[in-house]
Amino acid sequence: MTDFAAMLQTIKDKQWSLADIDWDAPGAETMTDELRAKMRPFMADLVWIEHIGARGFASLARKAPTPEIQEIYRYFHAEEQKHANAELALMKRWGMLDENGAMPEPNINVRLAIKVLDDFGDTLPLTGLATLIPLLECALDGALVKFLLEEVTDPVCHQVFKHINSDESRHITVDFQVLELIGAGPRHKLLIETIGNLKPQVIIGLIVVFVPLINKMRDNIVAMGLPENKLYNAVKRFASVGSRGEHTKRIPAYHVLKAQAAMVVDRSHAYHKYLADPMVKLTSKIPRRLLGKPQSWTEEITHEPVAS
Amino acid sequence: MTTAGFRGEVLRGIEWFSHDFTGQRVAVVAPGREAAQIVPEVAATARSVKVFQEEPDWVVPVRVPGGRAVSAAVARFFLRTQVKDPWIRRLLTPHARFGSRRTAVSVGYYAALRHPDCKLITWPVYAFVADGVRTAEGVEHHVDCVVLGPGSVFARDEITEGRPA
Ligand SMILES: [Fe+2]
Ligand SMILES: [Fe+2]
Repeated sequence: MTDFAAMLQTIKDKQWSLADIDWDAPGAETMTDELRAKMRPFMADLVWIEHIGARGFASLARKAPTPEIQEIYRYFHAEEQKHANAELALMKRWGMLDENGAMPEPNINVRLAIKVLDDFGDTLPLTGLATLIPLLECALDGALVKFLLEEVTDPVCHQVFKHINSDESRHITVDFQVLELIGAGPRHKLLIETIGNLKPQVIIGLIVVFVPLINKMRDNIVAMGLPENKLYNAVKRFASVGSRGEHTKRIPAYHVLKAQAAMVVDRSHAYHKYLADPMVKLTSKIPRRLLGKPQSWTEEITHEPVAS
Repeated sequence: MTTAGFRGEVLRGIEWFSHDFTGQRVAVVAPGREAAQIVPEVAATARSVKVFQEEPDWVVPVRVPGGRAVSAAVARFFLRTQVKDPWIRRLLTPHARFGSRRTAVSVGYYAALRHPDCKLITWPVYAFVADGVRTAEGVEHHVDCVVLGPGSVFARDEITEGRPA
C-alpha cells in the first residue's frame, strides 16, 4: 500500500516560491517578436489550464478518502495556482501582458470547464473526479509543457518548468495511487459511486465541457504549427499508466475515460467528425454573458512574488 | 517547521489579547476556531491582517444549546448571512469528513474578514522567512508580526522541536 504520509512530507519538502526565481535574469531577449506573437495565446491557455487543475483539486480535497490525501490535495490545489502565477510572471517577463498586467481572457471551452467545476465539482463522486483529473493532467498540462520547452530557450523559463515538472510528476503519481486505492475498495461501492450519484444533467455537462476542451486545445496546438500526435502521446500515457495498476482497472469511470482517450487519439475516429469537432464549433457560439461571472478565486492570480 | 526564520515579532498563546498592533501588518496563523477569536481583536488595531486559516471550523455568533447538529445548522445560516461571496463561504465551510468537529463562538470573525484590510488565505503555509511567510501558491507574504494560534501546526512543532530564541 502506498505511504501517503511520506508523499505528503516530500511535497512539503519540495515547495518553491516565485521569490526563488530571478525574474530579471538575462535570457528574456531570446523571446523574438515572432515567437512572442505565437506563444502569447498558448501561454494564456496554459495559465487557464492550471486553473482548471486547481479547481479540480479543490473539489477533490473535499472528498479525499483519508486525511493525508486531503492535505496532499490541498497542496496540489495551491501548486496549480503557483503554476498559473509563475506562468503569468513569465508572460510579464516576455512582454505578453497589457499595461495593466491583466490576464488574457480564457477561451469559451476553458470558461465552461471552470463553470462546470464551480457548479458541480463539489458534488461529483470521488471516483469520477479522481479519474478525470489525471486525464486532464496527462493530456493538457503534460503535453503543452513539452511543446513550450521545445520552442523557448529562455533559461528562466527552463528553470521555472523544472519546478513545475517536478510538481507535476508528483501529481500524476498521486493521481494514479489514489485510483489504485479507490479501485481496491468493494466493487458495489465503485458502481454506486460512479453511476448512482451521477445525475444525467451532470454527465451531459461533463461531455459538453471536456470533449470540446481537448479538441479545442488540439486546434490551438495545430494552429501553432506543432504536431498533434504529441498531444495524443500524452493522452496515451493516461491509458498506459492506469493499466499498469492492479486495481485501477476495476473503476468503471476509468474505463469510460480510457475509451474516450482512445477515441481522442484516433484522428480518423468518428468521435472527432460527429461529436468533438462540432462541439468545438457549437460551444464557440455560446454568448459569454450566459455563463455569468466566474467565482472570485479566479481573481487570485498574481505575477508578483511578494505581497505585503 | 518553526517560526525560527522570521525576523519580526511572534505572539503565542494569548499574547495577542489586548495587544496594540497599531501600524503593523499582522499574519494570524491558526485553525479557524482560533482565528475566529483572534482576528476581530487583531483587526481592531492592526494596519492590515492576513488570516492563514489552517482548517475551517463552524462559527456561531452566540453559544447554542443542543447538539452539534443544531450548532452546525446555526453556523451554516450565520455564514450565509454574513459572507456573500460563495467562494469565500466555501473556504470557511468545515470539511464534512475530517474536520475538527469543534465550533467556535465569535460574533465578529466574518465581519472582520469583510474589511478590505483583512484577507482570508487558505493556501498552506510552508515556511517562515525573514520578512514573513511563504505559502504553497508561490507567494511570499510580508508582515511585521505573526500571531501563532495555540492549535496551529507550527505551535505544535515548536513544542516538539523547541521554541526559537
Ligand atoms: Fe500544473
Ligand atoms: Fe498538476
